[in-house]
Amino acid sequence: MLKDTLKKALAPLGLENVADGDYAKTGCHLEVTAQPTQMVEVAQAMLDAGCFLESFTAVDFPEAFDLVYHFASFDELCRTAVHVPLGKKKGMYTISQIYPGADWYEREVFDLFGIHFFNHPNLKRLLLPEDADFHPLLKDFQAGPGND
Amino acid sequence: MIELLGIEEKTYTLNLGPQHPSTHGVLRVLLEMDGEFITKAEPVIGYGHRGHEHMAENRNYAQFLPNLGRVDYLHALAYNQCYCMAVEKLLGLVVPERAEFIRVMTNELNRISSHLLWFGAYLLDLGAFTPIMYCFDDREHILDLLDRVTGSRLTYCYYRFGGVPTDIDDEFVAGCRDFVKRLRSRWCDYDNLVTKNVIFINRAKDVGLITKDQCVKYGLTGPILRGSGIAYDIRKSEPYSAYPEFDFEIPTGTRGDIFDRYMVRLAEMEQSCRIIEQACDKLPNGPIMAEKVPKRIKPAEGEVYQAVETARGEFGMYIVSKGDVKPYRIKLRTPSFANMSVFSELAVDTLVADLVAILGSIDVVIPEIDR
Repeated sequence: MLKDTLKKALAPLGLENVADGDYAKTGCHLEVTAQPTQMVEVAQAMLDAGCFLESFTAVDFPEAFDLVYHFASFDELCRTAVHVPLGKKKGMYTISQIYPGADWYEREVFDLFGIHFFNHPNLKRLLLPEDADFHPLLKDFQAGPGND
Repeated sequence: MIELLGIEEKTYTLNLGPQHPSTHGVLRVLLEMDGEFITKAEPVIGYGHRGHEHMAENRNYAQFLPNLGRVDYLHALAYNQCYCMAVEKLLGLVVPERAEFIRVMTNELNRISSHLLWFGAYLLDLGAFTPIMYCFDDREHILDLLDRVTGSRLTYCYYRFGGVPTDIDDEFVAGCRDFVKRLRSRWCDYDNLVTKNVIFINRAKDVGLITKDQCVKYGLTGPILRGSGIAYDIRKSEPYSAYPEFDFEIPTGTRGDIFDRYMVRLAEMEQSCRIIEQACDKLPNGPIMAEKVPKRIKPAEGEVYQAVETARGEFGMYIVSKGDVKPYRIKLRTPSFANMSVFSELAVDTLVADLVAILGSIDVVIPEIDR
């Protein structure tokens, strides 16, 4: 089963948490928590197992950013959610060299949250105009005139 | 371009869009050209960015429902369904069987209408004017049928948390049967008009090849994935709603070129017809709304990821709830966003005329990329 293969592949990386998810409730079969520095290795392990990057986004919690990667597979129903707690730092390592599809997702997160991705080949705004000076999905952003 | 004296390479920049008939909305592509060949293509998106994800954080769960019909206006009901299913999962609601059947029927009608519009508009891109007249004629019947039950013709907002608000009647079921019969009688026309057309075949075969490796690395889904030979359809691989009740197949291609994607979409319409027919036969009686739907939607703390198969691929919704009446964060994973990101790789070393053909074959809906 893909879930066991993934668990085996992720075991040597020394991750904080690799546990079964509650599929009926969250829609994910495997819940993983990784440190920012480990994410590149996690992505490589996912690609080697034949998974594709389904979705990537960030959540601005009051105390920390949480980056959420969802991986799934074309061959078998197994969705993995990888959470990367980022603290209030706005820096992360790109995985676009492993998944070229992550390029746009990371640009979107940079655009809407202001999180930088080191080693990203083309990190510029994606959805908002190039000269925008705000990041609208941060919780302290207020829409309307006069916002910096 | 080779100069007369000495060999000097010169490239120039060509701007395609954002207002261009073949970009289907406001998409801009910056092309770097070497003669008539493209050396680099960079899509510039975001012209239709309305901030749906930000809007979601500023209104309660029910208020966000009509927004979904505006994300992908061609297959709005699938987006409705995904959101309803995600919230139902958070609330622990069970949808009655009849409501699930109604959802499937209306959803598949919407899928056919989306594919029909693609069919017509795509051939218009390639220079064939007549097909769009035929398929808009057929599509009009779907819009009339859906108008009867949902009350709107395009940006539907029909499903509710826990079921559907209005029931369908015998006339709708009879209308569905008539429509399926009518559409089936048209396949022959479509084949004669387009599929067997040698001009179309020459433009579509072996152009815009997408490999299986690219599908995994870019997370491509939908007909363009199935055209490359991977039989992945969320209706089968992660069955939801009433889909396990029906007998249907996943059409796939072999080479992954434009022609395969075209054939997959055509075959999918037939499969949708099969689903609708079976749903008409098996439609159960009973309630259309779950019991005890809370008046105030206030899910407990938690998060959920829900995926559905739209006409363009996987639409996923990631909702983070903090136990409030408003969602804390909603991420819309739209199929065209991922499908479009592979475009700059496909465009290299092709001609501008082929570029337009490739772009159309991906079947992008720009508001869905920009959200």
